[in-house]
Amino acid sequence: MITVSNVTKHYRTRTGPKRVLDGINLKLTKGERLGVLGRNGAGKSTLIRLVGGAEAPTFGKITREMSVSWPLAFGGAFQGNLTGIDNVRFISRLYNQDPEHNLAFVEQFAELGQYLREPVSSYSSGMLARLAFAISMIIEFDCFLIDEVAAVGDSRFHERCNYELFDRRSDRAMMIISHDPGYLRDHCNRFAVLDQGRLTTFADHDTAQDHFLAQMRSSVVVRAVAQPFSRRLAAIDSLRRVAHADEHFMTLVRQADAARDRHDWTLAEAGYGEALALHPYERSYWVQLGHVTREQGCLARAEIAYRTACAYGEPVRVLAPFITAVAPPGSSTLNSPIAVPDGGDTRRQPPGYVDLALLAALARGTDGIADEEALVLLREGGSLETVLARMMSEAPAGAALPQQVALVPGGWAVRSDWRDDLARLVGAEQDAFDAALSRGEEPLAALRSAGGLAEWIIPVRDTTTA
Amino acid sequence: MAIAAQTSLIANLGVQRRVLGALLLRELLTRYGRHNIGFLWLFVEPMLFTLGVTALWTATRSLHGSNLPIAAFALTGYSTVLLWRNMPGRCIGAIESNMALMYHRNVRALDIYVARIIIEFAGATMSFFTLSLVFIASELIKPPEDFLTVAGGWMLTAWFGAALAITIGALSQEYELVDKLWHPASYLLFPLSGAAYLVSALSSAVREIVLYIPMVHGVEMIRDGYFGSQIEPIYDPGYAIICSLVLSVAALILVRWTEKRLSPR
Repeated sequence: MITVSNVTKHYRTRTGPKRVLDGINLKLTKGERLGVLGRNGAGKSTLIRLVGGAEAPTFGKITREMSVSWPLAFGGAFQGNLTGIDNVRFISRLYNQDPEHNLAFVEQFAELGQYLREPVSSYSSGMLARLAFAISMIIEFDCFLIDEVAAVGDSRFHERCNYELFDRRSDRAMMIISHDPGYLRDHCNRFAVLDQGRLTTFADHDTAQDHFLAQMRSSVVVRAVAQPFSRRLAAIDSLRRVAHADEHFMTLVRQADAARDRHDWTLAEAGYGEALALHPYERSYWVQLGHVTREQGCLARAEIAYRTACAYGEPVRVLAPFITAVAPPGSSTLNSPIAVPDGGDTRRQPPGYVDLALLAALARGTDGIADEEALVLLREGGSLETVLARMMSEAPAGAALPQQVALVPGGWAVRSDWRDDLARLVGAEQDAFDAALSRGEEPLAALRSAGGLAEWIIPVRDTTTA
Repeated sequence: MAIAAQTSLIANLGVQRRVLGALLLRELLTRYGRHNIGFLWLFVEPMLFTLGVTALWTATRSLHGSNLPIAAFALTGYSTVLLWRNMPGRCIGAIESNMALMYHRNVRALDIYVARIIIEFAGATMSFFTLSLVFIASELIKPPEDFLTVAGGWMLTAWFGAALAITIGALSQEYELVDKLWHPASYLLFPLSGAAYLVSALSSAVREIVLYIPMVHGVEMIRDGYFGSQIEPIYDPGYAIICSLVLSVAALILVRWTEKRLSPR
C-alpha cells in the first residue's frame, strides 16, 4: 500500500514560494488503478514525482509498503554518452537483476537492433521512448506510475505497451496522470481530479469527468491571437493548432468521440457543437458533427456541416458521397459543385456556416443565421465577398450588432467574442475594430478603418430608400 | 508487506554495495568511455600532473628549505594536493548532472558523491603508488622509511578531502557562488597546504599559522613516513582528525538538507 497523507509541496520561485500541491491525501493498494485528471500545470507531474520518491514533500508524509516504479514514459536516467546496453546493465545492477537476461528482453522488445550498441544521445525521441519503456518493464514493480501526457511512440509500440502494462500486469497498483478522461476510463478503476494543487477523488469515471469539464468551463478561454492573414487556408491551419493546444477543446471532442463510439448521437452532437463554438475553424470536427447529425436524421444540418468542412479545406473527394447521401432527392443542387477553398485571397473563398453567421450578424444584426438560408447560400457556392455584398444590399440600415452569435447550427453554444472572429475573417485588427466601434463608427466602416475588407467590393447602401 | 519494506541492516548494506558498484561503473564508463586507454586515464592523468610538476620543480631548482631530492619533495607534495583538491572538484555539480538518478529511490545523493570520491581516491592513490615505485626503481628516491605512517598520512588527507568534497558539493547544489569561489580558493590553498614547503623551514610565527590548515598535517605525516630521519616533521594527527570529524558531520547534515530540496525534471 502507498499512503500519501497531508502532502504539501512548495517550489521556490523568484517571487517567493509557490504552492503546487496542497494537502493531498490518497491511498493506493494492489490491483487499484487510480487515474488522476488535471489540466496542464495542475500539479500532476509533481504529484507523480513525489509518490515515486524522486522529490521530497515540503510537508506531510508518503509511506510506501510496496515497490514503486519511476514515472513511466520518462526517458531520463539515461546517460547520453553511454550505449543502450550500458544503460540496461546499469539499471539491472541497481535493482539486482541479471543484466544478460534483461538485455535479451530489451533487445526483443524495443526493436532497436544495432542502435542498442550506440550512445543513447544518438537516439531519436521515439527510440528513446522505446528503450525507456522496455527498461521499465524489466523491473517487476508492485506499483507503476504512468505519465500518459508525456508518452510518445508509434501506435504499434503503443499497442505492445498497453498489453505489457494493462494486460500482463493488471494485478499491480497503478497511478496514471492524464488530461484525457477517455484514456483513464479505459484503464482505471478509481478516479481523481487535481485542480490548483487540490485532489478530489470520485467513485466513478463519469462524475470525475463532469467535475473536470466543469473546471474547464470556468477557466480562462484560450484565444487565438489574430494575425493579419491574407490567405485563408493559412489562417485556418494556425487556428486548428490553437484548438489542439486548448485542453478544454480537446476534452470536449474526446468526450464527443467516446459518445459517438457508443452511438450516443445526441451527446456526441452536443460535445462537437460545444467544442466548435470554442474553435469554429477546426474543420475535422465539422465532419464529425455532420456524421452525428446525419445519424439522428437531421439531414439539412448534416449537409451544412459537411459543406462547411469542405469550405474550410476538408477533402471533397471523401465528403462528396456523404453530401449526396444527405441531399434531398431530386434536389437541383445535387449536381452543383461543392465549393472548396483555393488558397487565394480570403474574399474569394467560399463561406462556411461560421462565416455566414458572422456576416449575417454584421449586415443585419441577427444573432445567427437560419439553417434553411445557410444551406441555400452554401449550395450556391458564392464567395465571402459576394455573400456579404448581397446581405448588405438587402439588409435594413443601422442594425445594432448582437451581443452573441450562434456559430454552430443547432444553437449548442453562442459566442460573445464573435467580433474577434469577424475581424479575423475580414483581415481587420481586433483591437482597432473594437476601438472604432466604441467611437461610434458604423460596423462596416469600423472594419475598414481597422484595416479589414481591403479590396472587398461591397455596394454602398442606397441611403435614399432607407 | 511492512516487513518487506523495513529491511534488515544486512539487506540494506547489500543494496548499498550494489548501488555504489553500479554507480562506480557508470561513472567510469561515462568519464573514460571505451576509447584508447579507457580506465587507465584514471591514474595516468594524475601521474602526468605529478610528473610535470616534478620536472618543473627540478628544472627551476625550487627552494624548499631542505636538502631532500626535489623528486621526493614533489612526489609527496603534489600527490596529496591532487588527493584533496580533485575530490571537491568532482563533487561540485555531481547531483545536477545525475539528477535523473533521483528517480531511482535506492540511489541517494550521498551515493553519487561517494562514488565520485572513490574514483578520485583510487586514481590519486594509484598514481602516487605507481610513481613511488618508478622513482624508487630508478633510484631517484629511497623506499619509505615507515610505510604505515605514509599510509596513515595518506588516509588522513583522503578523509579530510572526502568530507570537504561532500560539504562543497552539497553547498554548490544550493549556492552557485560556492562553485565560483572554490576554484580560486583551491589555487590559493595549494601553495599554503604544505605541498611546496616543509613546516620546519618556516619561522615559528608563520609555522603557528600554517598549522591551522588541516592539509598541512597530512603532508608532513607522509613526509615523516617517507624520509622522517632526514627532516624535522611537524604535525598533529589529532588536530587533523578533529577537523575531519567536524567536517564529516557537517557534510552529512548538508547532504540531507540538500537532498530534501532537489527537484528533478
